[in-house]
Amino acid sequence: MSTARLKRKLGDLGIDTSSRKANENFCLIGTPLPPLEKSKDTGEFVPLWKQEVRDEKGRRRLHGAFTGGFSAGYFNTVGSKEGWTPSTFISSRSDRATNKNRPSRPEDFMDEEDLTGMHDDQKLIDEHEQMDLLGTQDEMRKRAEGADKKDAITLALERSLLPAPKDSVGARILKKMGWRIGQGIGPRITWRQREMAFGRDPDVPSDDIDEEAKKHLYAPRDTPLIIVERKDNFHGLGYDPGLGLHASLGVAPETSKQSNGPRLAGGFGLGALNDADDDDLDVYDQSQVHGRNRHAYDANDLHDEERVFMSSRSQGARDLGKVAQPQRPSTGLVTFRDGRQPLNGFVISEKPVAEDLCFPIPDVPKDWTPNPKRVWEREKANSKDKENAAILPPSQTQSHAQWKTGISANQRGAALGETPLPSAPRSIFEYISKKDQERIKNTTGSRFAPPSTSDDPSPGLSLPTPPRITHTEPHVAQAALHGTLPTSVHTQTLAQAQFHPHRKPEQTPEEFAKEISDYAKSAALFRPVSGAMAGRFTSAAVLDLGPKIVEGLHTPAAQPEEGADSMDVAEEKPKEEVKEEAPKVHAARLGMYGVMTREVCTWQPARLLCKRFGVKDPDLEVPVDTSGPSAQAAAPEFTSTASADEFAGASAGATQVDSGGSGSSKRDVANIGLGEDDGQGDDVLTYERPGMDIFKAIFASDDEESDEEKDRMDNDDEVDEPPAVSVPAGPSQPGPDVKPPPPANGIVEDVDLATFKPTFIPRGSKPKDGEKEKKEKRNKKQKSSKGGTLVSFDVDEDGGESLSLTAARQTHRDRDSERPRKKKRKDRDRDGGEDMWVEKPPPDIVKALPITDVSPDEGGQVSGQESGPPRARKRAIDFM
Amino acid sequence: MAPSRGPQALARTLHKTLSNHRGPVHVVRYAKGTAKYVLSGGQDRAIRLWNPDLGTEIKKFEAHGYEVLSISVSHDNTKFASSGGDRSVFVWDVTAGVTTRRLAGHMGKVNVVELNADATVLASGSYDSTVRLWDLRAPARAPIQVLEEARDAVQTLHVDATTIIAGSVDGHVRTYDLRKGELRSDFIGQPVTSAVPSSDGTTLLVSTLDSHVRLFDTTSGKLLNAFTGHKHTSYRCRACFGHAEATVVCGDEDGAVWAWDLVDAAVLQPNPPPKVHDKVITWTEHHPIDPGEMVTGSADGTVKVWRHSS
Repeated sequence: MSTARLKRKLGDLGIDTSSRKANENFCLIGTPLPPLEKSKDTGEFVPLWKQEVRDEKGRRRLHGAFTGGFSAGYFNTVGSKEGWTPSTFISSRSDRATNKNRPSRPEDFMDEEDLTGMHDDQKLIDEHEQMDLLGTQDEMRKRAEGADKKDAITLALERSLLPAPKDSVGARILKKMGWRIGQGIGPRITWRQREMAFGRDPDVPSDDIDEEAKKHLYAPRDTPLIIVERKDNFHGLGYDPGLGLHASLGVAPETSKQSNGPRLAGGFGLGALNDADDDDLDVYDQSQVHGRNRHAYDANDLHDEERVFMSSRSQGARDLGKVAQPQRPSTGLVTFRDGRQPLNGFVISEKPVAEDLCFPIPDVPKDWTPNPKRVWEREKANSKDKENAAILPPSQTQSHAQWKTGISANQRGAALGETPLPSAPRSIFEYISKKDQERIKNTTGSRFAPPSTSDDPSPGLSLPTPPRITHTEPHVAQAALHGTLPTSVHTQTLAQAQFHPHRKPEQTPEEFAKEISDYAKSAALFRPVSGAMAGRFTSAAVLDLGPKIVEGLHTPAAQPEEGADSMDVAEEKPKEEVKEEAPKVHAARLGMYGVMTREVCTWQPARLLCKRFGVKDPDLEVPVDTSGPSAQAAAPEFTSTASADEFAGASAGATQVDSGGSGSSKRDVANIGLGEDDGQGDDVLTYERPGMDIFKAIFASDDEESDEEKDRMDNDDEVDEPPAVSVPAGPSQPGPDVKPPPPANGIVEDVDLATFKPTFIPRGSKPKDGEKEKKEKRNKKQKSSKGGTLVSFDVDEDGGESLSLTAARQTHRDRDSERPRKKKRKDRDRDGGEDMWVEKPPPDIVKALPITDVSPDEGGQVSGQESGPPRARKRAIDFM
Repeated sequence: MAPSRGPQALARTLHKTLSNHRGPVHVVRYAKGTAKYVLSGGQDRAIRLWNPDLGTEIKKFEAHGYEVLSISVSHDNTKFASSGGDRSVFVWDVTAGVTTRRLAGHMGKVNVVELNADATVLASGSYDSTVRLWDLRAPARAPIQVLEEARDAVQTLHVDATTIIAGSVDGHVRTYDLRKGELRSDFIGQPVTSAVPSSDGTTLLVSTLDSHVRLFDTTSGKLLNAFTGHKHTSYRCRACFGHAEATVVCGDEDGAVWAWDLVDAAVLQPNPPPKVHDKVITWTEHHPIDPGEMVTGSADGTVKVWRHSS
């Protein structure tokens, strides 16, 4: 990095860095700095954007996004990822000797893997070379080639330059034991033996034999290594590429002659340590004939005992060779039946090839006809006979799975008549006493059947474990069962969420298991179509019941006994369905609409819906119309019905006149607004909105009320009592409670017209005189308080002397038409506000009204209708 | 038959033809009140507001993405509801001509919509075999209740003060009684295409795909009368009462308008009626007040207004 700065500095000073002066070198000692202009200072700082990433071979690995990205091309090997880029023409004149023109070496296209692989190979070779002694293949080749190819000088040079090959461990040991290169391994041998080993007859006297030589022992003859030629062609065994067709077949006379020779057949199998007596030559190279081989074999009988064998192994091989020896000549003679000779290296087998045994087809009697029934019957009999059933008779049809799994050990044992082994207890039921079992069975009903207990005579016949049935919703299961309907499944169990398989006594376990597994499959597969998909399908209105198709092979009437029951059950269902549907359809077809075609069931409309429709929630069974017209319609009814009953039978328990009326347990529109009796209290409590008519009756018709009441006084007994009591109470206390007036006891006589007026006042005072029971039920009372007023109307009506209610109402509607309407609206808007509404006003009223004072005064005026209205009106206003 | 006696003859003189629709007209409805206007919806995805007297198109409501199958006008004529193949129900503001509410939830095309008396609840019946009841008051867009009793597409609905009547292709007419909290399902046996109760609610006029129009007693479910002669086998046709509910009127698939005497079920003259539409008459509606006016909508793309020749 300093060079760069220096260069820049010099540049700033105006010195040409490339000039010779600038680059002049004055160094006498050490390494001079690199020349300025082409300095490759590797440690020089390069800004990040200028840095290049190169692999160990110096190739750029990171390219810009527009120049190929990460390792352009296929790891820089090709111009592009798609393939080779065409080489651009480069004039050889301009840059003749540049690297670009140099042809690329294979290494240029190798990636790291290839390179390491290559290096490994080289290393291996190296190690080999170190490992192998002189005399390996390589060495031999060297020896063979080196002599003629390389001249002495180069060999000497090589030897001096090349490091001496290292001996292997074995070689070193041998050397320490006195072995030398070129000698054989083994104990020393006599001259005579040595002569024999070299194939010379020691007995033949020769002149040049040194007598002295006979006195020494010699190292055994060296065993040359066998060079097994690598077979790198694709010729078949024994094929000689040089031979013609006939020659290769051994027909040609000259080859046959050659094959007579002692050529070793088993060249292929010769091991490295098999001393093959120098016949370790190329077995395929027939042209090369070694006389020595022949000689060795020729001489074998003579000096047999004197031959030295290097190892027991080779001894064995030799023995084998001996045995094979007599045959060997015969190889040439033995031919195939058609006269051809076997391939080289092959021997004709003496044993004939085993042939497949063929059995003749049994004779079929002429009168035989196929009769599957017989087989089925036999099978049936087998299955009945439990012991036989334990093992599946071969004739019995097996499912593929069964066949695959084979028979279990238990089955096999049973078939062989073994006594069954004491197996693990099958279930907890084994430990339970019979009684308990019964009890459990009873309690659980058909929900689960205890598995076969120990008294089951066929222990080997274990029911295949029922497949696990995934939990399915009842309706899903129902739908799924339309596909496969296990006969053992009862519809009522289906209704439950669980599936309780229940085997019928007639069913064989196999059938049962199959059924269960079928069901499990269908249950697992079946998913109700849901969501958007479901919208695309609608179930057909009309069931098209085509002819029922029985799947599988037709089995003529063999089933009935076995599956009779199941079949029946299966068939019953559709029949039932048909029956169920039939009358309706039939009636419709005949035009007999009516009872037959009508089905009525309960339907619960949503509360909100009822509210929106202005209909009382029907779960109370009594619809109360709060909507204007209907309410009006209902009101008269209410008054009329209530009147007669209520007042007549004023029950002791009744809170008010109305409550007395409630003695009749009958619930109809009339009684509802009023909390009739204690029993109905609950309903009333839940009941949200009282009839509008009640309010109307109370508030709208105040003026009338007074009139009516007057009349009522005359006629009716019940109402009188409260007023009587109230009269005193009224003045004394404007009670904050809105408790209804005390029940009508039926005392009419006591009440005057004067006292009567106060009837309304008593509301406030009521608690005092009111009955305790009533107090307890607040809501009721609240309602009843309203009712009280109503009652008065009713009474009037009953008497018939006063105006009829409707009339009265109308009149007051005319008068106060605006107010009631407002009220109505208010009421509607408040949902549950009724209680509140009822409760609150009374105190106000009580306060507002100077009733206490007035009442006595008015007593006299009672007869005058005018007096009533103003007071009543006031109260109504107060409520507002 | 003396003219003075028996039901008044059907209005059979063509007054106006409203032919702006392209493609079949699926529904024609009179407005409420004096019913001076007519709304029609058709395959061309548009709802058109007409003046049947003048035969002019007043307004066109376009928002549906598929055909319009049903229209229901509110009691005050300020809004109406429509539904169609796009599986949603639209509530429209008549004057603004925009949808004020879009109710999605059906999984099939919505065959019919009906508003209740004060337009607080909207009932929609769909191909997905459900009837959904929507609250138009609350901001929530979920249905109040879903009536899933039908086994097949719901083709017709009628909502009155306390009942909801649904006719379905499964051959049932189901009457949901809110007050009693009960469901009365009458099996007709054939796919029901329309169910129109009389104004007093005691009888129900049901047209089915077996070329029958039947009059039922709602309380007992008994058949009071059957009106036949027309051809009605595969399309949704609507039968309605004539003026004062003295007659029964139904358009048939040949394009003729049939009329029967309500009581004796005799076909009114002319018999057979002339063919007045080129294709199936999908909707027949008698004017609610005017005794001499009637509209028919047809698959030939026209809406025809009929009056007495006077």
